[in-house]
Amino acid sequence: MRCLIHPLLRKLLSLPPQRVPGQRTPSKGAVLSPEQLFVRESCSAGPGLVTATDMVNYWHRVFETNGIPEAQESSQYIVSFVLGAKTFQSLDSKSLHTPLTALQQQQIQQLSHKRLQRMPVQYVLGEWDFQDLTLKMRPPVFIPRPETEDLVSLVVEEEFQKCENSALCFPVPVPHPVILEIGCGSGAIALSLLCKLPQSRVIAMDKEETAVDLTRENAHRLQLQERIHIIHQDVSHSSPKQLLLWGPIDVIVSNPPYIFHEDMASLDAEILHYEDLDALDGGDDGMRVIKAILALAPSLLKVSGSVFLEVDPRHPDMVEHWLQAHPDLLLTLRAIHKDFCGKPRFLHIQKQSS
Amino acid sequence: MKPFQKVCLFKSLLANCCCHSQVDSCLLPPVAKKIGCIVRLHNHGFWRPKPLLDTARFTLSFNSWHRKNHQNSQALWKHEAVQKYLETLSKEYQQVSHQLSTDSLNDFEQRTLRRRCADLSPIAAAFQEIKEAEREVQELEAMCTELDSRDEKQLLQLALEEKESLDKKMNVLCRKLFQLLVPKEKYDGSPVILEVTAGRTTGGDICQQFTKEMFEMYQSYADYKHWTFDIVNYAPAEIGGLHHAAAHISGENVYRHLKYEGGTHRVQRIPETGLSSRMQRIHTGTMSVIVLPQPEEVDVKVDPKDLRIDTFRARGAGGQHVNKTDSAVRIVHLPTGLAVECQQERSQQLNKEIALRTLRAKLYQQVIEKQLSQEQSARKLQLGTRAQSERIRTYNFTQDRVTDHRISYDARNIKEILSGKEALDKLINRLLEFAEVEAVTQYLENLQALEGGG
Repeated sequence: MRCLIHPLLRKLLSLPPQRVPGQRTPSKGAVLSPEQLFVRESCSAGPGLVTATDMVNYWHRVFETNGIPEAQESSQYIVSFVLGAKTFQSLDSKSLHTPLTALQQQQIQQLSHKRLQRMPVQYVLGEWDFQDLTLKMRPPVFIPRPETEDLVSLVVEEEFQKCENSALCFPVPVPHPVILEIGCGSGAIALSLLCKLPQSRVIAMDKEETAVDLTRENAHRLQLQERIHIIHQDVSHSSPKQLLLWGPIDVIVSNPPYIFHEDMASLDAEILHYEDLDALDGGDDGMRVIKAILALAPSLLKVSGSVFLEVDPRHPDMVEHWLQAHPDLLLTLRAIHKDFCGKPRFLHIQKQSS
Repeated sequence: MKPFQKVCLFKSLLANCCCHSQVDSCLLPPVAKKIGCIVRLHNHGFWRPKPLLDTARFTLSFNSWHRKNHQNSQALWKHEAVQKYLETLSKEYQQVSHQLSTDSLNDFEQRTLRRRCADLSPIAAAFQEIKEAEREVQELEAMCTELDSRDEKQLLQLALEEKESLDKKMNVLCRKLFQLLVPKEKYDGSPVILEVTAGRTTGGDICQQFTKEMFEMYQSYADYKHWTFDIVNYAPAEIGGLHHAAAHISGENVYRHLKYEGGTHRVQRIPETGLSSRMQRIHTGTMSVIVLPQPEEVDVKVDPKDLRIDTFRARGAGGQHVNKTDSAVRIVHLPTGLAVECQQERSQQLNKEIALRTLRAKLYQQVIEKQLSQEQSARKLQLGTRAQSERIRTYNFTQDRVTDHRISYDARNIKEILSGKEALDKLINRLLEFAEVEAVTQYLENLQALEGGG
């Protein structure tokens, strides 16, 4: 409760300014204050004892009262995190009903206050999961979205298929694909690919130093630093030479900024206030970086090498037209894949053989 | 359009066998339809068993034939329709192998033909072998007639002995042939649960005593067959017998050998204990055996088209536009309406994978339950009402004789049967042979019924 005395926090929590901690008479017409609720809800474990369920209920109400999106999920993730679990659903009944220690309560409170400022839960916890990896998350580095998990699966499937095909026709040495990720952010795509394709090597580049640092940190935490080469560079100002350190590239993969500039204003506060908007804003047609990648790709890729992109559902047609208008790039749109919501989200582009 | 023409040619050449072998995995394709219904009297010499057919109307005699004569495989072999049928298969085999030797086939045709060829070749080989053996027998037969007229007794004796051994060989070959023809039953290779239950008797403990002996017989038989015999439960009777017991038996072709053991077994004996003068008479008791296959694997295939996957993200723009943490996934299996949810993980993809696994397990559970209820009805069928009229076998201790009522088979020496070794194996093999003959007969009958109806 100590931190509630802080005037700034009081303001943030929309508490009446004159309230003194410990005074328990509810003022008429006031918004439900965290303190009041706290007293009521904490009764289930006996006087003075607070359980995980109590905490979740309490912060759920506080978040709701303060208009925080995903109020329940946020409170559940925060409480679970402090208890050493990833989700509330994975907590067993014992840890749900054991009274929390003072330290745990304090931690929950600190994290929840961050959430009250609309900080994304992933930044609040400082980590999030991408497929089966747990990655460090730090503002303002872009937080990977669930759609992107399927982008990784697409690349992995394609690589597996290549192996099968070549094994059928004639024996070839196990392929060691070189993959380039443009705009690696936290490193989610690059590191996930390194895990799923043990023979692969990845060059990961990002124009932001914070992103490059975070990718490096995550690579070390997952002990994948041997097979990754991290470059601090902007794709729009890249020369092929710097990226060909391991020879021509098999696969370029990217989740480039693809939001149309006019849509940026309508994004949630969590995104607008915390994430690096350069990682989201794709310019007027959302294709600024997509075009830069496609322009660079032919000079990097092997013959029949592939580009895998995550894009806006309006982009597949636009990209196809753009490629037709630029035949000198020798790139063909091979396939459009849908995301789990059925929206055309992923593009498979291939370099022609001549 | 060349490949298409090839397919057409191929289809017309093999219309019968290929199309049907896909529908019916059984090795008896409707080429048998071509078998003529006209039956001529078999030219049978003195060495042949009883004449098989003595009427002109084939269907009639054929229908009643196998019921009158519980004969072995060799008897069935001598049946006209069977011979014709085998002849057709043999011809088909030659045709298929010829087709395969020409190069004008595409991959698909080659694969189909090769599979068919592999199915047919052992049958064609066995057919040829039997025909050769039969020719030898005929030669011997001719010799015997000649010898008989010349009154050369010693030589005749030798010839007859030779003929007998050839006859035995024929029997073995016929058995092999029909085993090839009869489709394998689904659960033949499955392990089983074997249950024994003592019947209700009016006097003495003979039912419980007999149940115990029977359970031990199957235990020894499992040992004889190198199967694994695990007792699942065992409820002994106070007076030394057995009320009820169950065992899980696994090994090679367990269900195939034990499936005809299910039913009521009758015992007739003078009780060994309770020797009051009142008890000193022959008692009749029963016990029942239930044999249920236990398939080990159930395949559950889920078609992605049958799934509806719900996530919170379906509502919004998705992608980079949204940063939400709700990773819960709900999957509905449309054909069954089964729904599963998962929010164990922070990764939505992992939640989806877990949900799919759960769904598969649930569908598996449904399949198992369905199978279980089918087994339950099979169990009821085998258990019957435990009435003596449904008995399959009688063990008469006073006459030292075991009779299987289904195949009119008598075996002397009960002790040998109950020891669960060769004698029991011989009895079980006779049952299997009988079932095979019946399966082939029934198949040909059905074909003829179809032919007659169409």
